[in-house]
Amino acid sequence: MKALKKLVHRWEFFLVIFLVLEFVVFGSANPKFLRANSIMTSIVNYISVCIISLFVTLVMITGGIDIQAASIIGLTSIIEGVLWSDAGLNIWVAVVIAIAAAAVCGALSGFFVAYCGVQPMVVTLGGSFLYSGLALLISGMSATPAYQGISGFPAKVGKTFVGFRFLGKGELLGIPMQIWIYLVLILLCAWILHRTKYGERLYLIGVNQQAAEYSGINTRLVIMSTYVLSAISAALAGTLLTSNMNSAKYNHGSGYTLAIITAVVLGGTLNTGGKGSILGTVLASLIICILRYGLPLCFGVSTQNLDLPVGIILVLVVLGREIAGQHMLSALFRKRG
Amino acid sequence: MLCSLPGWGGIAVTGEMTKQNLPCTLSVKDITKSFGTNAVLKGVSIDLHAGDVLVLIGGNGAGKSTLMKIIMGIYRADGGEIYIDGKAVNMTNPSAALAAGVYMVPQEPMLFPNMTVEENILMGFHESSQELKKRLAKHMEELGFKLNLQRKANTLSIAEQQLVEILRGMMREAKVLILDEPTSALTFGEVQALFRVVEDLKSKGISMIYITHRLTEVFEIATDVAIMKDGVITLRGPVGEFNKEMLIRGLLPTDAEMQESGKGAYVPVPYDKLKPVMEVRNLSGYGFSDISFDLYPGEILGIAGVVGAGRTELISTIFGRDKVLGGTVMLDGRDITGLPTARILKEGINFVPEDRHYHGLFKIRSISSNTTSALLNTDEIGRVNINRKRQNEISRKYVDEFRTKIVSLEDLIGSLSGGNQQKVVIARSLSTNPKVVILDEPTRGIDAAARGDVYNIIQQLKDAGVAVLMVSSDIEEVVELADRAVTVFQGRINGEFGHDEITQDVLTGASFGIAQKKAVAE
Amino acid sequence: MNKIKDLFKARWMSSLVFLILLFLITGIADHNFLTYSNIINCFNTATMYTLLAIGIAFVIMTGEIDVSIGATLGLTAAMTGLIAQSGGSIGKMLLICVAVGAAVGVFNGVGVAFFGVPSLIFTLGTNGLIRGLIYIVTDGRTVENFGGPIAYYGNKELFAQITLYYALTVLLVAIAHILLTRTRKGKYFIAVGDNPGGANLVGISVFRTKLIAYILCGVFAGIAGYVFASKYRQVMTVAGNGYEMTAIAACVLGGISLSGGLGNMVGAAIGAVIMSSISRLLVFIGLPSDYNNTITGVMLIVIVVVDSLTQRRSIEMSRRKRLLSRTAPGAVKGGDEA
Repeated sequence: MKALKKLVHRWEFFLVIFLVLEFVVFGSANPKFLRANSIMTSIVNYISVCIISLFVTLVMITGGIDIQAASIIGLTSIIEGVLWSDAGLNIWVAVVIAIAAAAVCGALSGFFVAYCGVQPMVVTLGGSFLYSGLALLISGMSATPAYQGISGFPAKVGKTFVGFRFLGKGELLGIPMQIWIYLVLILLCAWILHRTKYGERLYLIGVNQQAAEYSGINTRLVIMSTYVLSAISAALAGTLLTSNMNSAKYNHGSGYTLAIITAVVLGGTLNTGGKGSILGTVLASLIICILRYGLPLCFGVSTQNLDLPVGIILVLVVLGREIAGQHMLSALFRKRG
Repeated sequence: MLCSLPGWGGIAVTGEMTKQNLPCTLSVKDITKSFGTNAVLKGVSIDLHAGDVLVLIGGNGAGKSTLMKIIMGIYRADGGEIYIDGKAVNMTNPSAALAAGVYMVPQEPMLFPNMTVEENILMGFHESSQELKKRLAKHMEELGFKLNLQRKANTLSIAEQQLVEILRGMMREAKVLILDEPTSALTFGEVQALFRVVEDLKSKGISMIYITHRLTEVFEIATDVAIMKDGVITLRGPVGEFNKEMLIRGLLPTDAEMQESGKGAYVPVPYDKLKPVMEVRNLSGYGFSDISFDLYPGEILGIAGVVGAGRTELISTIFGRDKVLGGTVMLDGRDITGLPTARILKEGINFVPEDRHYHGLFKIRSISSNTTSALLNTDEIGRVNINRKRQNEISRKYVDEFRTKIVSLEDLIGSLSGGNQQKVVIARSLSTNPKVVILDEPTRGIDAAARGDVYNIIQQLKDAGVAVLMVSSDIEEVVELADRAVTVFQGRINGEFGHDEITQDVLTGASFGIAQKKAVAE
Repeated sequence: MNKIKDLFKARWMSSLVFLILLFLITGIADHNFLTYSNIINCFNTATMYTLLAIGIAFVIMTGEIDVSIGATLGLTAAMTGLIAQSGGSIGKMLLICVAVGAAVGVFNGVGVAFFGVPSLIFTLGTNGLIRGLIYIVTDGRTVENFGGPIAYYGNKELFAQITLYYALTVLLVAIAHILLTRTRKGKYFIAVGDNPGGANLVGISVFRTKLIAYILCGVFAGIAGYVFASKYRQVMTVAGNGYEMTAIAACVLGGISLSGGLGNMVGAAIGAVIMSSISRLLVFIGLPSDYNNTITGVMLIVIVVVDSLTQRRSIEMSRRKRLLSRTAPGAVKGGDEA
């Protein structure tokens, strides 16, 4: 009974309820909502945000923030396109190189945050300009004009997709490959954060970096690594997007930044660090994703108006959490001064 | 001291009632304040008349700063009242205090680093700036303080910052001026200038509360003295009735508390049979200079001194938290000078930080997580994956051993009492099976029962052959536990004491800079 | 002489020097650039960003942030356009812009300063809210084809090729700057960001100061929306998207520290000119506009890193000095020989 009570108090529980409510409300408004294929398609359309928010959770748990990830989506995409189309490299080699490039981008920003003490918001702001700019420049190096996007990725055999395009369009057991990949990444991230010593270090650094130092943790290296991971996740998202749309474009992913942060915050991660969970982030991403799918379908809300409900939810949620949190925290432990 | 205050039934511990029926500028009655379960103030009353300079002295953690912050409206008292000029005032925030004519010059200057000196001083005033600047110039002259008003505050030395704070106080022309250790960073000349100002303000009828660690200052400027200990005022009266010895004795526990400290069954450490496990030679760093001492296995070496003496800086530097400027530290013959913290842990030293809130606790993490955080670099709790079972085992072991009062290992450490929190931090410091454990103020802010438990733990460590280096401002504690002791004053060791030489008088004196002639071995 | 020396040490001076350097480099690459007309143009086109930067500077100086200003701009721009379409007066437009901006500011201020929600997150939510409101107000359509007086003033020049709007903006900058640095209450903004505890100690209301900062920020964003509509005469529903990042970058370039307590309006204005001119300057240098973002990103990162390193260094230096002074032989005679 006690365990159940504790469960109820957890933020993820509230998210689950909300998600279930969404299904109930939307499902009863329009039964077409419940078609599995459509739901999966809607998730696939939002997959970049879902994937990146997993790893940005890691960054935010240490107390940092990453607003450059969205730019790295486009950067990876165009690198893969140019390397494959113009340089003639094997597509998989191109993918690996692109991911490595993204890792370097992450390491750079991570270095400035961890070792130079620059505020993460500003560094990654600069990074977002820089990497989206680089993406554009790289696309200029291609024979294909930038606005067009490179296409013709391998490969489509008849009606099935194989090779590179299988990642984005293929299906396994009736479920899109992208969702499988998302699932794998969820498990990976959950393992990293909740099961490894590395994850424990992340939490400790986020709660109290000084105390973590006193426990012998190399906080700066760990913090830097989170930005590398976040960048790699953006690279993966970019690869999937390229494969899905059969188009490598420099501006893939632009505009995703706020959505990513919203998902992480809604998922229960404090932006001061030390608190958050993968489950929460996943649920929050799904909540937003389903909302964006259900509202137009069931209530005729135009897709452009979707920012409003998401914004309302975010505001209400954080306000409510603050009010409730003040009450509980002050009762639990009154901090000195 | 009696004041014409309705319903006042005060206590004057010493001294005759000389100032009868004079209105009190400031009257504080029965103030209580607790932080969580930690009772910092347990019923404090103070009365000040115009022109009084009440010097308040007391050990660290006695509650002086907290009391002052309550009077200034920065904290809210749990119980008690404050009266200014006989009228009750609700000190909800500093604005209320300022409006009532109270101003506090804080211990750590709270200036605006990026603003000029002038802006800093004039911030928050409502009068015309012409007038204010004239007054400021006048005060600066009185203080003999020559400073470029246009300098940015972050370029000032601490001494200069303190003087700016004092200027702020003078500018406020407050009725009640609180000075919290105003001279801690001043040179001799500057201190004298400050005293002149104090005299001047005294003659203008302004009341002052003056907190200091320097006993000599008491006799230079005080009209009244009060000693604060453990959240209550233990001794109070006009300064003329005291001398230095009485003050020192007042800082010590009353006879009732002074137990025959468990020195009954004292087993002396066989120093002649032991080699030191840690040797510090001429170690210099930021905040301390030329420190040398040996540490033997199975002994407790106490390091006494007042806040700011440099003890914490010393041990933090040994632990790898700050840069070494000179000298060496050897552990079992290995040179560990200047190594990073992770290495120092591996070599066999662990650390309980002074301020557990800032440096020790992971407040919103579980007890398990907190206990085992220092083991993350070892394989004890797993190689890649974290072995939660092992985490819990280790935590459970310490919880049982230390009799830590918890409900479940999964509870957040923030929900425990101060004493139990400290036990967890100590457990962490022992989890790596170190050869040397450094404790910085191990019993600060914890209740008596937990304190007893912690003393037992420290004894056990000693019995197990671990070397314990203990920094403490609680003189009783050092007397009770230490096999040997050193005192640090202004960054240097100014006294070394063998077990029988460790007495409260001697340690207290040395901490306050009154160097005793070292007891020559009989 | 001292005053001139102090002037050069000011943070905004380095920004100004940087701007001049940019102009010079451009001029070297292409002599045609160094005409009065071109340079003035750089300033004129910075009107909107300047307004945004000034507004958000208030908030940043108190140690907070506001990522909803782009949305506020979009909303007020759309509303301005709608009013113009229905033939309303400029006065009415400005009134609405200011009122809407102020309302957003109050909303943000209460959420952040009263309830204590972290500012990044709360204004993120506000951003979404307002973006949604824009769609509702405009029915999801671009607001266009509005003429009349607003179009007339849009590019009207006052004198010496300085547009009316920019001149007014400079006036606002000057007023804001004087407010911030010379008035008693104006200094509260920096005080709160510099040392909130210290501000509390001297009786400054941290809540009220932050609230006013957010209101000012919203109002300026509202006015910027008016300028947007007046200038482009076409307001898409995504208008203003990303402008908040540019405004923040402008502030950083102008010497305002994101942690608060440092910087002034002149710097923000200069930063805004830098941000808005980059594209034009690059054209003259011969770099296609493709290089915009890259250059901006590099600029931003370099400046912030250098700034952070120097600040950390000076803080560390003073800490060390302080600790060393405690052990100096000439320290206070606090002790006696017994």
